[in-house]
Amino acid sequence: MIRLCITVFALLSFASQAMAVEDNRTQFPALQLETGRLTIYSTTDLAAMKPLIDEFQKSSPGIAIDYIEYLTNELHALANEACRKDQPLGDLLLSSSVDQLLKLANDGCAASHTSPETAGVADWANWRDEVFGFTYEPAVFVYNTRKVPPAEVPRTHVELADLLRERLDYYRGRVGTYDIRLSGIGYLLAFYDARQTNTVFGRLLESMARASAVARCCTGEILEEVASGRLYIGYNMLGSYAYDAARKHPDLRIVVPRDYTLVLSRGALVPKSAVRGDLGAQFLDFLLSERGQEIARSNAFYFSETGGLPPDVDGPQNLKESGIAQPIRIGPALLAVQDRAQRQRFIEDWSRSLIELNSPEWTRE
Amino acid sequence: MTRREPSLFARLARRISLVLGIGAALLVSAAWYYAETAADKAYDRLLVGAALQMAESLSVENGALSVRLPTSAFELLGLAERDRIFYRVIDTQGKTVTGYDDLQSPELTAGNRDALSITEGVYKGEEVRIARATRVLADPSVAGHAYVIVAQTNEARSALTRELTLRATILVLVMSLLAFGGAMLAIRYALQPVERLGAAVRRRDPHDLTPVSVDVPRELDPFVGSINHFMGRLNERVDLLQRFIADAAHQIRTPLTALSAQIDLLGQDKLDKAGRQHFERVQQRTGELARLTNQLLSHAMVIHRADSIQLEPISLVDVARRAYRAAIPITVDPDIVISFEAPDDRPFVLGDAVSLREAIVNVIDNALRHGTDQRLEVRVRSDAIDAYVEVEDDGPGIPPEGWEKATQRFATSKSHEGSSGLGFAIAQEVVNAHGGTLGFRARNERGFTVILTLPLYKGLAK
Repeated sequence: MIRLCITVFALLSFASQAMAVEDNRTQFPALQLETGRLTIYSTTDLAAMKPLIDEFQKSSPGIAIDYIEYLTNELHALANEACRKDQPLGDLLLSSSVDQLLKLANDGCAASHTSPETAGVADWANWRDEVFGFTYEPAVFVYNTRKVPPAEVPRTHVELADLLRERLDYYRGRVGTYDIRLSGIGYLLAFYDARQTNTVFGRLLESMARASAVARCCTGEILEEVASGRLYIGYNMLGSYAYDAARKHPDLRIVVPRDYTLVLSRGALVPKSAVRGDLGAQFLDFLLSERGQEIARSNAFYFSETGGLPPDVDGPQNLKESGIAQPIRIGPALLAVQDRAQRQRFIEDWSRSLIELNSPEWTRE
Repeated sequence: MTRREPSLFARLARRISLVLGIGAALLVSAAWYYAETAADKAYDRLLVGAALQMAESLSVENGALSVRLPTSAFELLGLAERDRIFYRVIDTQGKTVTGYDDLQSPELTAGNRDALSITEGVYKGEEVRIARATRVLADPSVAGHAYVIVAQTNEARSALTRELTLRATILVLVMSLLAFGGAMLAIRYALQPVERLGAAVRRRDPHDLTPVSVDVPRELDPFVGSINHFMGRLNERVDLLQRFIADAAHQIRTPLTALSAQIDLLGQDKLDKAGRQHFERVQQRTGELARLTNQLLSHAMVIHRADSIQLEPISLVDVARRAYRAAIPITVDPDIVISFEAPDDRPFVLGDAVSLREAIVNVIDNALRHGTDQRLEVRVRSDAIDAYVEVEDDGPGIPPEGWEKATQRFATSKSHEGSSGLGFAIAQEVVNAHGGTLGFRARNERGFTVILTLPLYKGLAK
């Protein structure tokens, strides 16, 4: 995820003592007389969140919003430390790495919140009324139409593995995916890939390793490179960002894999130590409300649990009904994902297969 | 007695509800205890299962302990949907391999090397249930005991305990209410004979001293027995008293007759005017005394017959005529017009002819002595229901306010005229014993009437 440079610096901005980095903070002043200031710590690109924040401020004009962006792992480390020291860190945490949010909640860092809106959240996207999933984002393939001929477009994980094997030379160094050492979401998706089908994932990993797949920290970078044609195929991209990029670059196309599709629900959590937890909960309710979901579908995340796929996406008509959607359940199983020994071993295995086997020219991004 | 004793119903209801209340409380406590045990057992299995799965995942790779925590273990624990999970894996050296470093296992220090143990504990300020699974590793490089400690908060357990207890409580309450309702109905039913007995005793005629014959449950037999025993004794006393009166009257009559005869023999000739006056008064008083004695005897006889004589259908006209003849003395003033009227159909009543005649005689006698001036009429008539004997005279009669008093013994307003006051009392006694009434018709232009009403005998089919 890109750290967006913030251009707006209000004079009023009180010096945020703990925050050494300030360039990731965006301020949305209240539309009317300020009655409260909501601080959101997030791993979601500002571009995706902005329509939601604008809409929220329309209905609650007295609330000013500080939106602070981090990488998933950085945010987790910050929140973990804040929780341990019982210091406030924002009023709402939004993270695509729901496993990290779940760990925080399990450690007692989250406040419980129930409302008519939270009651409507699906079972798999709500844990203890503390961690809520508010989006529905499939992990997709992206490819560049100029580089990948229509006949070669992979539509399942196996097809992708086979393609890389058969056209090894053509795709060498042209496939990009997350560097799971840096990206929490990459790790989460890879872990669930491995859980889903160990053999297919093993084959895919092996194929990608042979094809000297490129690992990047963030979705944005890969999407940019695929759009520009430097990379041909991006693997396990978050559907929302991919679709946003595809709208801007006509060469970029999206495939929702037809054997299985991991579906991630971006998580939200109100920290226990929040100064304005009520505002955090209010924003959370807005995200979960019909209006919020509608905006998210049309302007921010594009995919939804109930509706069909957005236009120009190669995949089944309706993800949920096709039965291939595998939502990552927000529940204690994510603790196994978050286990440090597990993580270390998994990343070691992954690195060994994907990186050490391959070109020494890049070991780490 | 200022304070009423609480009713049997209230006493029983109080005690039964007390017993039921205590019982329900005990049952609910037991249900809670069992529910807690059951919930603990159920969720302990999950906990132990997860711990065992985790322990199973320990292995030695390249001379070091390696952990591959199975997701399924967490999913197993996740069956308790809202509970937080803490775990810690400790290697053979006692170092934490992964998980929560500060999660303590109490037994670990105690040197207890059981394969499995479960305890209560507190972690991060929450009450938790802690399970510890042991894995014995015998690899040359890593040998010894490795432990997996898994802790889970108690929300699901408490929820299950609450739910089970709540359901059991509802059952117990429903059962208690049913039992209470049933007991109340049963008590009401069981107490019914007492009410029946009370009502039967209350309804009895004050003169009826025969044993109470109400069907009562065995438990009330002593009570009914006591009532009957008491009434028997009372009856004996009354009988004794009546016999005494009859005997006394009888004993008095003989010397009285002799006395009357002696007085008659005395003659008035030798007496001066004042002496003659005294003599007449003695004569008159003796007559009154004789009459009173006769009435007492008659009264005793009537009461005796009412108790002992079987009633039979009799012609009221015959009885009335005989009484009429007996009551009118031969020496009656010839100026008085006396008549007897009776219908041809001769109404029948169920009765004792002797008693009835005595009653009618007394009424006619009363009328002759105190009422009749010029005329006395005795009539028998009947309608669809009753038969009547009417005695009408042209005397002053009894004003309505004196009617009630007239039928009481020795309570006439005309005692100065030498009335004994037993006449109407005897008549009423007899008529009542026959299921009839003694009534009066207020004086009109014809005169004052005493009416004996008797129910018509219907069983006499032609």
